[in-house]
Amino acid sequence: MGVTEDTVTVANRLGLHARPAAELVKVAGKFQSEIQIAKDGVWVNAKSILGVMTLAAEQGSVLAVKADGDDAREAVAAVIALVQRNWDFTDV
Amino acid sequence: MSEKRILRGVGVSSGLAIGPARVVQWDLPKVTRRLISADHVDDELARLRSAIQTVKKTLAGLRDQARERAGADEAKIFDAQILMLEDPDFVSDVETLVRENQLSPERAFEFRTLELTAMWAQSASLPLRQRVADLNSVQKRVLNHLTGRSLESVMQTDDDHPVIVFTRELSPDLMIQLAQGPVAGFASEEGTRTAHAAILARSLGIPCVMGLVASLERVTPGTAVILDGNAGTVVLDPTAGEREEARETQRLRHELERQIGETDTGPVVTQDGVHVTLLGNVDLPDDLDAASKRGADGVGLLRTEFLLLGRSSMPSEDEQAGFFERAALRFEGKPVVIRSYDVGGDKYPMSFEGSSEANPFLGWRAIRVCLDNPDLFRTQVRALMRARRHGDLQLMLPLVTTLDEIKQVRGVVADAAAELERENAPAMTDLPVGVMIETPAAAVLADEITQLADFVSVGSNDLTQYTLVVDRGNARLASRFTPFHPAVVRLLKKIVDAGTRWGKPPSVCGEMASDPVSVFLLLGLGFRVLSVSAVSLPVMRWFVRQIEAEEAAQVVEEVLTLGSADEIRFALERAVGERVGQQLVSSTRLPHSNAAATLHQSG
Repeated sequence: MGVTEDTVTVANRLGLHARPAAELVKVAGKFQSEIQIAKDGVWVNAKSILGVMTLAAEQGSVLAVKADGDDAREAVAAVIALVQRNWDFTDV
Repeated sequence: MSEKRILRGVGVSSGLAIGPARVVQWDLPKVTRRLISADHVDDELARLRSAIQTVKKTLAGLRDQARERAGADEAKIFDAQILMLEDPDFVSDVETLVRENQLSPERAFEFRTLELTAMWAQSASLPLRQRVADLNSVQKRVLNHLTGRSLESVMQTDDDHPVIVFTRELSPDLMIQLAQGPVAGFASEEGTRTAHAAILARSLGIPCVMGLVASLERVTPGTAVILDGNAGTVVLDPTAGEREEARETQRLRHELERQIGETDTGPVVTQDGVHVTLLGNVDLPDDLDAASKRGADGVGLLRTEFLLLGRSSMPSEDEQAGFFERAALRFEGKPVVIRSYDVGGDKYPMSFEGSSEANPFLGWRAIRVCLDNPDLFRTQVRALMRARRHGDLQLMLPLVTTLDEIKQVRGVVADAAAELERENAPAMTDLPVGVMIETPAAAVLADEITQLADFVSVGSNDLTQYTLVVDRGNARLASRFTPFHPAVVRLLKKIVDAGTRWGKPPSVCGEMASDPVSVFLLLGLGFRVLSVSAVSLPVMRWFVRQIEAEEAAQVVEEVLTLGSADEIRFALERAVGERVGQQLVSSTRLPHSNAAATLHQSG
């Protein structure tokens, strides 16, 4: 229970574009907590693909991730891990 | 031939298609301004939800077709479109507009999507601007559904032979749906190489030309057309001669693909017996394998920037040594040239924040950052020396502009060697230090630099950009960015001459090394070592084997007296055309354009 927050840097070459955004939203959608994600202080709902795409996070962007709810800790960890694993894509 | 009949755009999926034109008008429907009464809100919302459900189902069906026909990665493109319709914020905003402002669902949906497309279309981010087509298509489907028009009725046709489809904008869903019928080629007014539909066209193997500005009004449905996905052109109502020529081009391209497919990975020798060393460029760890499998004689440029990405601290010495060791082992004693970090100060993790600069390409970057942070640099040098026990690792310095920088690096290298010896750490401290010549300053000092350095390599992209003062990322300047500019050609000559004088043959590791006409120039100037992307290795191996180095030298001797990039390119293209066939000058790039330049060029 509670609020968790962490940051991560986008590593893949084309940034948080459509397919990575779709994966991120799917991961976020598995959690009960409200999850938000920010670039340069602009926060969007991590479960909203249009919001996440609008961030237009490029390679090297630092993303902040925060969650509020029972599974907040797990939610933040899962989103951060997805970005750190570079979405498991080999060539994006 | 009348110019009016030729439409010019961007070839995004290679190949030739001949057939009648079919114009598909699939645009946003006119949505009437209509307010709904309060007691109809629930009915209208139900209508909206049902439309969204239907479109989602259609998209899911198209995703399955895409997976089958194009691949799993292509199918993921559709996930993004489906998720847009499931977007909780978006859907609740639209519903609120219906409930509280009594907008019709059509108006509410249109209002919210227009807000987004306006924002995306003006974004500084190119990938985001290119996703507007995907969002537009979702919007078209929902709005057309709500207004009772279906894509099926628009597509209704009795075509039984392959057609060339013309449309304003191609989205992946529209493309896969249209491709259910007999389609030989796609053409659209909007879009570029990295549009999702362009990726899909390449995976489907259907020729496609995009960016045919204001072309729809010039195409009469039913007219015969030739679409050339390599050249990016569409010829309307072609003559018999043009049809014949198109078929001949197609035949030559297939022949070339066949020949390149058969090229082995053995030595690369010109017709007159001159040996050329083909190395591979490595941007990401996966490229090591790709370059090695395609027979690279080593790595001419291994970029280390990926080591810095996605982290909040510098990679440790052990981590770097581990990766360098893997690279050394993969190439079994062949040279592997590691370039020290080549990014601006703001791209390094740790304490370099606040260094955003007005002109980052003229700023604090590359060797300048490394020399200003000797600890960071020494860690990389030590990692290289430790890994050098496993192969021929070498260090290359980017963006050198002064001789003093090389001397300073020699100092860092000597310190690192002394440290490692003191620590009795297992290492090979005789690390060769090379210089990347990619600034006019370095090119002018080529003689002194070649003398001081253990080897030199030309970074042709930056050398061109800095010499011509042309930002190569600026589309408006694209035609001005050319390595055939006489100033660039003469600098290249200076560099290769310095190499001959000091017995240190320079390599070329920029994009020039992957372009046949440029390679002809480089061979003619006397370059014998080329480092190219893994995907280009088979084509370049084949190409070098067609060339006579002596002939190239003669052509280049003339070229050196010419005063403009156009004259130089023309002379080179003519010579290359005579050697490998005029058609191939424009199409030698074909075999790797389809295979490699797919998903990692886009999103």
